[in-house]
Amino acid sequence: MVRASNVGRVVALLVLAGAGAAISNFAASSDRKLAWVGSYPRALQVEPAGSPAMAEAAPPALQRKQPPVQAPATPATSSASSSAVGSPATPPAAPPAVPPAADTAGLARAFPPHPDKPAVEIAPADVERLYRGKALFLDARRSSVYAEGHIAGARSLPVWESDIDARVKGLYEEGLDQKAPIVVYCSGGTCEDSHMLAEKLYMVGFDNVLIYKDGFPDWQKRALPSSKGANP
Amino acid sequence: MTRPWLSIRVQIALGAVFVAAAIPKILDPPAFAHMIYNYRLVPGGLVNALALVMPWIELLAGLALVLGVWRREAALVAGALLVVFLGAIGWNLLRGHGIDCGCFDVRSAGKSRDEQLADMRWVLLRDVGLLVLAGQVLAATSPRAAISSRLSRG
Repeated sequence: MVRASNVGRVVALLVLAGAGAAISNFAASSDRKLAWVGSYPRALQVEPAGSPAMAEAAPPALQRKQPPVQAPATPATSSASSSAVGSPATPPAAPPAVPPAADTAGLARAFPPHPDKPAVEIAPADVERLYRGKALFLDARRSSVYAEGHIAGARSLPVWESDIDARVKGLYEEGLDQKAPIVVYCSGGTCEDSHMLAEKLYMVGFDNVLIYKDGFPDWQKRALPSSKGANP
Repeated sequence: MTRPWLSIRVQIALGAVFVAAAIPKILDPPAFAHMIYNYRLVPGGLVNALALVMPWIELLAGLALVLGVWRREAALVAGALLVVFLGAIGWNLLRGHGIDCGCFDVRSAGKSRDEQLADMRWVLLRDVGLLVLAGQVLAATSPRAAISSRLSRG
């Protein structure tokens, strides 16, 4: 039998738990913080075993209702020029320098934009070509995992950490060419972090996100350039 | 079934399990949110809030059991959580969706789908056992048990 006093104590326990959660989240380091409300469009979708996590077309929750406001159109050249054009009233912190694209036209022909879907999965050989062509690489894994090793030059956008939306917004505000190919990756296998990051990028208008499905483990297996630490 | 020597051991053991389960989740909420997301049962907008609050519910219920404070209420909460866990794992087993439990470790175990499904069956058995323990504490703290205890002492 459950009495009123029992219910009261259960409610008190739940309230205390909420308070504890709020305090611990407030006090947590940035890589351990969590936004109270996340955005996971596929949270209730179960993929059949063996099927790719990314649908061919964007699911309804991801279909952009209006064309995104195009950020000042500057090609992915040096950071000095991209920060000078269309800089906001309060300039954001200087992003890591984006190396000049060595083969922009060639990459654009080989990897055209796909505005009807958030991302396309690409083969490792294509990843290498994009890397040599100085395309932008984004690492979707946790920042602690990124620091242990990542593709050299890749930037960290940890999709499960609380500031991911701010980071995606920051990337948008850099004024990058939203039709230029961007490669996102995570841990390979069943990891969906790269897909989740691709969806966030798609929602702010990046039309050419390519997913390196086999991720960093495959990159390491191929003995390709990698770095450690918090910087690209 | 409700003898004091048994009840106190059961409540401490159950409480210790819940405290041990809660700590890694409290220390790494993003990883636990990822675990909850993988269950594909929680609407996207609720994943993070659940990842933040549920471990604290586990912790406080566990501590209450270990310390012998609000035992009946703590056992009620622990039992309710176990029923939820059993439902979540059971439903995913039924639909063949392999997941890492995330019960005591929020890191991905890197197992195959078949390994995950096998682990989930063991987790179900374990949680049924823990539910029995919670039931024992509830029985031992029921008003009838309290009356019976007073009568036997008097």
